[in-house]
Amino acid sequence: MVDRPKWREDFPVRWDDDHYMTRRELARFLTLGSALLAAVNALIAAVGLTRQSPTAPSRRIARMDDVPAGGSLLFSFPTDEDPCILVRNSAGGIAAFSQVCTHLSCAVVHRPEEQALLCPCHKGAFSAVDGRPLAGPPTRRLPRVTIERRGSDLIATGIEV
Amino acid sequence: METRQQGSTLFSAILVLIATLVVLQLWLLAAALDGLLGRQTGVLVPAAIASTALFAMNAGLLWYVVSFDERLRQWGPRG
Repeated sequence: MVDRPKWREDFPVRWDDDHYMTRRELARFLTLGSALLAAVNALIAAVGLTRQSPTAPSRRIARMDDVPAGGSLLFSFPTDEDPCILVRNSAGGIAAFSQVCTHLSCAVVHRPEEQALLCPCHKGAFSAVDGRPLAGPPTRRLPRVTIERRGSDLIATGIEV
Repeated sequence: METRQQGSTLFSAILVLIATLVVLQLWLLAAALDGLLGRQTGVLVPAAIASTALFAMNAGLLWYVVSFDERLRQWGPRG
């Protein structure tokens, strides 16, 4: 008897010779997948509970005069890879937020006439006053950067998620 | 009375139930990932507990249906 190559067993010409997955095998496969999903979920919980929130020393980001009323300024905080935006409203109030949209991480831009931060990717909008979502797909507010004024300097001191 | 026909129907029903629970676990995984990236750690532990409970249910259903099937094979067809 001539040995058939392995590929012929996996891909037989005759339909009758094909190997179909039984319902029992499918149930076992799904339960194995279920165990894998539970393990990954537990891993995510462990990572989330052990991960330290990023702490960074305070950083001077600008002078008060650098940002005109109704204007905005881009900066990075707490690391150089975390883009943020400082907004000064027409009344002179200062607020700063992460520039990363909470929907799909596009960069938001300031729209002073609407007092909003707009995400151009999917037309999401956030309040330029407190960062809460106003329109579009985002459901979570922008993380707020706490700003301290020391003399004429604006200092970023932390992030409120 | 346990018959082969009943066993086949039961197996199909439980297979659908297991698949539904796996889809629920996928949804939990997506929610947990969203929580992790959004630093909303409050949802992570409940999601992990729920996912583990769903896996326990899946394992119980698999054990039940396999033991039912084996019992049926042992007794042979009755109708």
